Amino acid sequence: MRQKNRNSASFISTARRAWPDGCALTACCLWSGVTEAQRSASQSALQPASTQAQGIELLWWIMLWSGVVIFLAVMALLIWALWSGRQRESPLSLTASKNLVLTAGVAIPALTLVILVGGSLFLGRSVASAPPPDAMQVRITGWMWWWEIEYLDSAGNITATTANEMHVPVGRPVAVELASGDVIHSFWVPQLQGKTDMVPGKVNSSWFVATEAGEYRGQCAEFCGLQHALMAFVVVARPEAEFDAWLAHQAEPAAAPVTAATQQGRDVFEQSCGHCHRVRGTDATGNIGPDLTHIASRRTLAAATLVNNRGHLAGWIGDPQRIKPGNAMPRSLLTPQELHNLLTYLETLE
Amino acid sequence: MKTQAIYDQNPEATDLLSRTWRSPPGFFGWFTHVNQSRIGYRFIVTSVIFFALAGVLALVMRLQLISPENTLLGADFYNQLFTMHGTTMMFFFAVPAMEGLGIYLVPLMIGTRDMSFPRLNAFGYYVYLIAGISLYVALFMGMAPAAGWFSYVPLANIAFSPGKGMDLWTTMITFIEISALAAAVELIVTILKQRAPGMTLNRMPLFVWSILVMSFMILFAMPTVMAGSVLLALDRAFDMQFFVAAGGGDALLWQHLFWFFGHPEVYIIMVPALGIVSTVITTFTQKPVFGYTALVLSLVATGFVSFGLWVHHMFTTGLPHLGLSFFTAASAMIAIPSGIQIFCWIASLWGARIRFATPMLFVLGFFAIFVIGGLTGVMVASIPFDSQVHDSYFVVAHFHYVLIGGAVFPFFAGLYYWYPKMTGRLMSERLGRWSFALIFAGTNLTFFPMHQLGLQGMPRRVYTYLSDMGWGELNFAITIAAFILAIGFLLTLINAVVSRTRGVAAGNNPWQAETLEWATTSPPQNYNFRHLPIVHSRTPLWDEPDSSHRQVVAGLRADRRELLITTLLEAKPQSVLIMPHPSVWPFLLALAVGFGFLGFMFQPLLFVAGFALSFFMIVGWLWPRKPWLDTGET
Amino acid sequence: MCPAETTRLNFAVDATHFSRFHSGSDAPIWWGIIGLILIEMSVVAAFVISYFYLVMINPSWPPIGHPASELLWPTASVVILLMSCVTMYLASKAINRDRITAFVTHTSISVVLACAVLVIRWQQFQTFDFRWDEHVYGSLVWTISGFHFLHVVSAAIGTAVVATLGALKFFNSKQRIAIVVDTMYWNFVGLAWIPFYLVLYIVPRLT
Ligand code: HEA
Ligand code: HEA
Ligand code: HEC
Ligand code: CUA
Ligand SMILES: [Cu+2]
Repeated sequence: MRQKNRNSASFISTARRAWPDGCALTACCLWSGVTEAQRSASQSALQPASTQAQGIELLWWIMLWSGVVIFLAVMALLIWALWSGRQRESPLSLTASKNLVLTAGVAIPALTLVILVGGSLFLGRSVASAPPPDAMQVRITGWMWWWEIEYLDSAGNITATTANEMHVPVGRPVAVELASGDVIHSFWVPQLQGKTDMVPGKVNSSWFVATEAGEYRGQCAEFCGLQHALMAFVVVARPEAEFDAWLAHQAEPAAAPVTAATQQGRDVFEQSCGHCHRVRGTDATGNIGPDLTHIASRRTLAAATLVNNRGHLAGWIGDPQRIKPGNAMPRSLLTPQELHNLLTYLETLE
Repeated sequence: MKTQAIYDQNPEATDLLSRTWRSPPGFFGWFTHVNQSRIGYRFIVTSVIFFALAGVLALVMRLQLISPENTLLGADFYNQLFTMHGTTMMFFFAVPAMEGLGIYLVPLMIGTRDMSFPRLNAFGYYVYLIAGISLYVALFMGMAPAAGWFSYVPLANIAFSPGKGMDLWTTMITFIEISALAAAVELIVTILKQRAPGMTLNRMPLFVWSILVMSFMILFAMPTVMAGSVLLALDRAFDMQFFVAAGGGDALLWQHLFWFFGHPEVYIIMVPALGIVSTVITTFTQKPVFGYTALVLSLVATGFVSFGLWVHHMFTTGLPHLGLSFFTAASAMIAIPSGIQIFCWIASLWGARIRFATPMLFVLGFFAIFVIGGLTGVMVASIPFDSQVHDSYFVVAHFHYVLIGGAVFPFFAGLYYWYPKMTGRLMSERLGRWSFALIFAGTNLTFFPMHQLGLQGMPRRVYTYLSDMGWGELNFAITIAAFILAIGFLLTLINAVVSRTRGVAAGNNPWQAETLEWATTSPPQNYNFRHLPIVHSRTPLWDEPDSSHRQVVAGLRADRRELLITTLLEAKPQSVLIMPHPSVWPFLLALAVGFGFLGFMFQPLLFVAGFALSFFMIVGWLWPRKPWLDTGET
Repeated sequence: MCPAETTRLNFAVDATHFSRFHSGSDAPIWWGIIGLILIEMSVVAAFVISYFYLVMINPSWPPIGHPASELLWPTASVVILLMSCVTMYLASKAINRDRITAFVTHTSISVVLACAVLVIRWQQFQTFDFRWDEHVYGSLVWTISGFHFLHVVSAAIGTAVVATLGALKFFNSKQRIAIVVDTMYWNFVGLAWIPFYLVLYIVPRLT
């Protein structure tokens, strides 16, 4: 599968170079862009990992090649037209002109368009259809500028809550319910599915089946204010059994602190952070910021802006406004000791 | 008849005519000008200045994006920059530039002396100027709007954009629409009622047709965005609930209102550009363009269909799929009129002896770039594909290709083409070719890689991106290319400024063109034509190259501003219209309206004051003139 | 320009005796007002369509607790506005026959009728039992009412000016384009109340 992705990626650069105006320099930078993308396998619609995204990718290649052919044909005609008058004037006859316009300008486009529209409606129907009934339900709410992720059981009760990181089982349909708490955001994981907006006052939905285990980055695609650029998240697709274990773990409350340091850390947390953040099983029950019950198990911090490690965590808690200016979390005024304990505590929240 | 004719040719009469149509000199005089050539010229120059400003903003934006996690600009300033860049390019450059060409050229092309409502014309200009200046003052004070050029609610609503920036945006959008609507009404009436005798509708130059279609589109598209921005202003000022979900309002209502205007808007920009392309091709092949009727019908069809496409900007908002499909089909359909036009032009170029002067080069550039942009447009019209690339750099690439290819290239072609008419001098060909080459290369180098970025998942409107995303190298290349592009544009601007004084004298008709604007002097006199022309075909100047043999109209008085009214379809002479003099009232009215609207931002009651003030200005403006009454003639 | 050359000019149309005054559709201003009315009609349409859109997405309309307003006075406004269109028509007839006094009388009656409508509407504003910031229903009713109110004010002021100018003998059967366009605008403002009346007062009773 990886191999296939690589193929398609170099395929595009060849395709791109075929566009005549993509002169050498463009081709070069496109090339470098592609190799770069291969290294980090991050957020590219051209490396699909779900049935839905694969369908769209196929549509893209078809459209790209038809586009290339049409463009080349039009340019060839144009150059021919310009060329034919070089020696002496030799205009097209009236009938020839008419035929040209009717075939190239009406008939061929109409035909192409019918095929294209038909194809994309067909594909669109399957991409946008209702998810199969056995799909796993996840409710995602966009906030300025992070994602709240809630897992629902078949009765619609919340089983686990997390933020900025979503896990899904490979091979099983996942249906997402999309809502917004403030302004419009857009849920987009290019490798898994096209985007769907999260509109206040409205619940949208989307679904996909991840076909490959892996990590896929998603990013908010609708401009939502100051930190729209740093509103991303990670989707982790893993085999069903691993996923189930993960979900069961996420559903549990936080581990109780055992050492003195972590106990103090929890107290600091309950006092300074608890009215915004929740850690299930403690007195911290805020719901302004992300649920931190299992923060230590997450890969990233601050909506996939930082890698989750002690240094970044300390940096974030110390001055969130430097990292993500304008976000809703204030600087905290903790003594070094308090900070130390807090970090130690947070690190236990596996 | 005889005596009248002799009087008409008398040099003293010419002097008198010149004095009658003269615009008052001096600084204060400037605010009273109403002649269409003055106002059109102002529109063009002002819009080019806004183009340069918005272009510079784009360059600053590109500098921020040159490398990942760059800290050159803050998030807020970046957001202001792209909002201002988009707003300026769409509302303060592209539309007014096309209107400006229309206002300057249409009366010349249809052989009349002025527009129907010269004072309204002047008013439209001041309103435009006030709106643009206010926005840029706000930008320099760091309080420009920052919600993007389509200001989606709730982000743009008071809860999430509390500053004055958004208030300014809603107000100034209303303003610029007033200006555009004034120009549209004006252009429609002028085109329908003031064509030279004999210029039936199907002898009208294609450029005039395109301006007519543009004006009708403005008439039906702009009121919705005005209504929308008024509702948004009310939401912001009085806590009304139109777009607030909690109060029964709806965020998507704004999107419908905006795009019902916003989609036609992009064709409002493109349609006149297509008119320019037809004009340039006719002149530089020295033969009538093939498929006049087909071209006209395509323009009209584009105008109509464009009102049925707006939802293609909302494919990802979660509307029912079946309903959306209609808009895919409609979007694809619009490719057909575009295709017809492209191939009519190719047929016209076929085997012709073409003069490859700069305007023609820009037209050829238009072909390549516009077709690429059009093809990506058809791609994004596909719902599943759009769900991937919507709001990504792929769309940014699409619309820069169509906007630059479909509007800026033709506009520059028009600039090189009509510059000699407006100034009496030709622009430098050498600089022109260099400029063209840089712009053509620069456009492709800047915007082509953006397709790739979009597919790699880069969303638009991000002030920064993380270094492990792998977007750094392409962005670096794009930024460098944007500077190449900028140098290209700069060369044309330099060319335009330098050629004002140094250019080769042009004469009346330097390109041997066929339409009436080339029948008069370059630049045209205050009165445009010494004698209003009469036409018998689509190519009056080619039919009768000798100006002294052309048929003309006699009997318009030289001591007051008079022009001829003709019938709607056949352009049969009907009556004579007496035009108003220069006047300061339009300027005062614009000030009063500006006071009302800007005041509203701070204190709603000031709006009422502005309303009352405006009333006095309007009465002053429209006050019937006694002399006109006294001349008690038929 | 030397005389020898000038005599060769080919004058094919002589406009010397063409009419300089326009009272109907050959006057650009007539077309201009049509344009203005088209623009305003688009605005009206935008409001009405937004109204229906909001009716559609809201489960109850008008919102629970706000019964639809009573009909008497709004209906009276419809009737009065229609009457004023008639008086404006009579005014135009009068000026066509150069009957200045009749003209001034009829325009003045129209202005008085418009003022009556303004008083009624003002009265209605007092009786709305909802605020504009409570619910989108309130926002719509207030905005549309306000929009129309402002238009009646402008039409009334405009016509008052025309009536005054008429009294000052600025118009006669030939020079009456100002009256023609004022009447056209008046009719628009009068008739625009009908769709607004329907959406504000009838539709809430049907949903
Ligand atoms: C001058 C401006 C201009 C023009 C001419 C166009 C032309 C077209 N545009 Fe574009 N568009 C914009 C300006 C323009 N657009 C802007 C500014 C936006 C973004 C706004 C924003 O979000 O900020 C946008 C966004 C936009 C979207 C929304 C994308 C998104 O946000 O996700 C869509 C979707 O359908 C679209 C479609 C089209 C189509 C189908 C055409 C067609 O008209 C193109 C037709 C032309 C051709 C197809 C080429 C010539 C034809 C032939 C050579 C014949 C053969 C062709 C075929 C067989 C296909 N455009
Ligand atoms: C006609 C329309 C038009 C034109 C011509 C352009 C021209 C350019 N645009 Fe833009 N653009 C838009 C319309 C247009 N744009 C719109 C509508 C948006 C969406 C905004 C939004 O999201 O809300 C957008 C968004 C947009 C973005 C995306 C921002 C984002 O999403 O974060 C970018 C990024 O690169 C960009 C770049 C450019 C560049 C480099 C040019 C270059 O072509 C500009 C080159 C021109 C110049 C540089 C001026 C030349 C003059 C000089 C150099 C003279 C110097 C002057 C003095 C000395 C006084 N534009
Ligand atoms: C006023 C509310 C508020 C307070 C107080 C607050 N936070 Fe936050 N916190 C937030 C918000 C909002 C976010 C999401 C920011 C974003 O990414 O835009 C956040 C994000 C975080 C994250 C990253 C979570 C993730 O999944 O990416 C961590 C960790 C965190 N906060 C820890 C703390 C700690 C520790 C404290 C106390 C010292 C604290 N916060 C105090 C509101 C708050
Ligand atoms: Cu959330 Cu952009
Ligand atoms: Cu569109």
